[in-house]
Amino acid sequence: MPKLIIDDIPVDVAPGTSVLEAARSVGITIPHFCYHPALAIAAACRLCAVKLLDGPVKGIQMSCSLPAQDGMVVSTTDPEALKLRELVIEWLMINHPHDCPVCDEGGECLLQDFTIAGGHSRRRYRGKKRTFKNQYLGEGICHEMNRCIECYRCVRFYQDYAGGTDFGVTGSAGRVYFGRFADGALESPFSGNLVDICPTGVFTDKTGRFRARYWDYQFAPSVCPRCSVGCNTSPQAYQREVIKIVGRRNDQVNGWFICDRGRFDKGYINAPERPREPMIDGTPASYDEALEALTARISEFVTVNGTESLALVGSPRLSLEGCLLLAELAQVLDGAQLCYFGDASLARGSVAAATLLNEQNAASMRDVEKADCIALVSLDLMEEAPMLALSVRKARAAGAQIYLVAGTTEASAAPLPFQYRTVGSLDEVPFEGGSKGVVVCGAGEQEPGVLAQIASLGAKLVLLQPGPNGFAAGLLARQHGAVSLSEAIAAGKVKGAVAFEADLADALPTGFMVLGIADWQACPPYRDAAVFLPTTVWAESCGTSINFEGRAQRFEPALKAGLPLRGLPEKYYAHGAEGVAREAAAVSPPAHPPRIPRAEIPGGQERECWRVIAALAEKLGGDRIAEPLTGKWSKLQHLDPEGGGVRVFSL
Amino acid sequence: MEQELVLFKHNRKHRPVTFAEYRKEGGFEALEKAVKKMTPAEVQQAVIDSGLRGRGGAGFPTGRKWSFVPRDLPGPRWLICNCDEMEPGTYKDRLLLEHNPYGLIEGMTLACYALGVRHAFIFIRKGYEKAAENLARGIAEAKGAGLLGERILGSEVSVDLDLHLSAGRYICGEETALINALEGKRPNPRSKPPFPAVKGLWQGPTVVNNVETLAAVPAIVANGPAWYKGLARIPEAAGTKLFCVSGSVAERVCVELPLGTPLREIIDRYCGGMRDGKKFKACIPGGASTQFLTADHLDVPMDYETVAKVGSRLGSGGVIVFDESHCLVAATLNLITFFARESCGWCTPCREGLPFVKEILQRIEAGRGEERDIELLREHIKYLNYSFCALAPGAMAPVDGLLAHFEDEVREHITKGCCPLAGKGGN
Repeated sequence: MPKLIIDDIPVDVAPGTSVLEAARSVGITIPHFCYHPALAIAAACRLCAVKLLDGPVKGIQMSCSLPAQDGMVVSTTDPEALKLRELVIEWLMINHPHDCPVCDEGGECLLQDFTIAGGHSRRRYRGKKRTFKNQYLGEGICHEMNRCIECYRCVRFYQDYAGGTDFGVTGSAGRVYFGRFADGALESPFSGNLVDICPTGVFTDKTGRFRARYWDYQFAPSVCPRCSVGCNTSPQAYQREVIKIVGRRNDQVNGWFICDRGRFDKGYINAPERPREPMIDGTPASYDEALEALTARISEFVTVNGTESLALVGSPRLSLEGCLLLAELAQVLDGAQLCYFGDASLARGSVAAATLLNEQNAASMRDVEKADCIALVSLDLMEEAPMLALSVRKARAAGAQIYLVAGTTEASAAPLPFQYRTVGSLDEVPFEGGSKGVVVCGAGEQEPGVLAQIASLGAKLVLLQPGPNGFAAGLLARQHGAVSLSEAIAAGKVKGAVAFEADLADALPTGFMVLGIADWQACPPYRDAAVFLPTTVWAESCGTSINFEGRAQRFEPALKAGLPLRGLPEKYYAHGAEGVAREAAAVSPPAHPPRIPRAEIPGGQERECWRVIAALAEKLGGDRIAEPLTGKWSKLQHLDPEGGGVRVFSL
Repeated sequence: MEQELVLFKHNRKHRPVTFAEYRKEGGFEALEKAVKKMTPAEVQQAVIDSGLRGRGGAGFPTGRKWSFVPRDLPGPRWLICNCDEMEPGTYKDRLLLEHNPYGLIEGMTLACYALGVRHAFIFIRKGYEKAAENLARGIAEAKGAGLLGERILGSEVSVDLDLHLSAGRYICGEETALINALEGKRPNPRSKPPFPAVKGLWQGPTVVNNVETLAAVPAIVANGPAWYKGLARIPEAAGTKLFCVSGSVAERVCVELPLGTPLREIIDRYCGGMRDGKKFKACIPGGASTQFLTADHLDVPMDYETVAKVGSRLGSGGVIVFDESHCLVAATLNLITFFARESCGWCTPCREGLPFVKEILQRIEAGRGEERDIELLREHIKYLNYSFCALAPGAMAPVDGLLAHFEDEVREHITKGCCPLAGKGGN
């Protein structure tokens, strides 16, 4: 354990820690650009210079690439080190454009921070700045190469970390250019991380361009709802609109990055066609009216047909709280069919995972990275769990052998970012008993015997889920003996359903009654024939979900649900009586927020789905539910959203 | 006394020496002696004892560099001949290979034997096509005669030489950038440590040596280390050096001379003195990355330590001579322009600092300099030492020399608002 002194503070760190990281551990931030904890050391920017006053090394050194050693005496404030850092900033400012007023990075710009910290002001260079032409890199990312400070983070991430091949650095000297080798959009499904990783505004989020300044954003810790990895995100909202989503660090799950689907696939949150009003048979109503109507229709249905004819349908995208309360609701409507899945194969797959996985054999993302033999069985990895592909890539870089068992598709958008061998069957994968092997299976039911074979290999298991909370859905389906909706229908008893954030099968039998839908997305063609209750999306909700690792993670609301301020419909600008448009309706669109004080948020009636279920349960005669996480789940009540989550096997 | 030649011993006028001629004059006898009668350790010891130092510019003791290769590391080890000669003022490697490729071939094979290398590379720059042709032909001839390839001369020793044509620029002469280039990557330098002798080409132990260094090995093995060391002019030096002279001398020649030969002798005796009766003003002794020597230094013996003692470096031995009509600000600007252009673009001080220095020198040279520019230059001389590799510190050496010895000339540009030597027929 090297012991050293940094700015008169004694520091004790693990062997291999750099001086920069050792300083950070005692709260000293040494300015840096090219250093990033997730990437290999570059030592290119020369900004992290410190002076070693005594010990085994002396003089000016780059703290990012200097391993801490016993007896080192480090000064981060030595005049020579400060002067070098000042010069590095001055050198970078030779070419950096005065773009701050028009650059989206402002306020979250490492270059701004360290330039001001270094005290840079007057320009001594008299020559011209070099400029570049920008490229079209796709719909997600803006390219502004003039701002580049050549820290090489982008190419180190894109090629080394994410395995991309279409983007990199060309040229030499002051003309080095970071861009795509040929025209076209970036191909890597992780390209969006360039926005997070660039310390200046070369790569900015095109979807949120020119909308707000960093200090305007509201954000909260959230979990991505697009797959069962459960990467941590920070949706950044302004005036009731999610402007952009950035990755949030979680060393246990996604590290520092997220995939492009999680980052850019957010149109659904603020889409104009998002259903925000409670409806009864297609006519807007208040939430209470709609709840009453649904209660009445359910009561009528079960009186006529019996509770066993009613299906209560959840899904792998319903939060843990929603899934738990759905079971409560099924108890209140004693005999009703509890379903957590629409599709039978997906249901059986998730239940099998819940049955098979335990604390010892369930692989985490970190287990995958440390594996020495990985088999990929019947899955489309880049479609089902893109960030897991990066964990496999890390394992490969450390020497692991990766095997694609025939039947595994590579059909999706992107090629796998690692070398692998294709084998005909699982028998051909050389797992040694007790070795660090991992088997990764896609969501859905496996061929008979495959799971048993997989379980007998002595390897750890990744059984992916068909949705972000599929693990909980499978767990609870197993606990309550729930079957999928399609099986329930096939068995002949179920004649109607209430769906809670569920995707009902397209082919429901004729005459099947959808009594009510609680969801945040439009669900044609049933919406008009039922009671519709709008719910909040995860970015607008507090809740818990369990990823494929069995890790429960909490998310908090980043914004209150409601119509975005920008592009608010005319009726919210009405003067006088409700619904009377003013003459100025001819002026479109109004530039100011509405000047009419209101008590409710326009379009903001959405509720968290679990609260909807709780309200229904109470109206149907059940107890009032104040806290959805009870019994063994009560340990998750105060789960820290910025912690590492909790693996639920031990609950 | 007729000087004993090592590297230019077999030179013919106007054509390269032939394979048969080289063999007739004793070529490849050292190789035969080594593989049949010496152990690899003995060959290495001979090089250590000879005092041979790297001839590419750094002057690091060759035998000591070889000794850094761990004896017991499994896996292949590599030898790379650095023929990426691009230091301005330096053309000795080209001439050597255009005259005689066999010395290098024999020297590399001997080095491979000493180091346990099966496969070696010659990394040769663009523009050296004639030298490359000679080498390709020489390798084929040597192989055909059983002096290269499998089981050399019937022994258990097998060595293959690969000629690799560089696709890159000046930075490829930096040994770790060269290794990256050989691996097919961008030729950015690597951090040291780890040094190439421990982790180099494809992460294996690698020795990178200059052409002239390796071409001296056959003579060391044939005649013994004491003989080689004794060839020098002064006791602390060892062996001979190729000095390639350009600039304001009557005859621009490349001569092989004992290390320790005084600068004055090189110019007066071997280059016919100054051109057109001009007066010596300054010279760059060892390629563009070295500080100016002035008329006060004409009697300095040309060896590594002696030149270092007067604040410069022997470097590659590329001597560029300036006379009284040459503006040294313009000369320094010329060199800085080269270095700024050749920066690989990896680290901030080199990529941004060198153009900054160039801009300052441009203004001074054009008469638009300011008093504060001299302090700015001094800041850059000091702080460009903290770049990632040696390119930037080397680039600042002529600026350092300019301010150390010719600050008055710089100030005159500033106070006069023009070049004081303009119109005097120089440059």
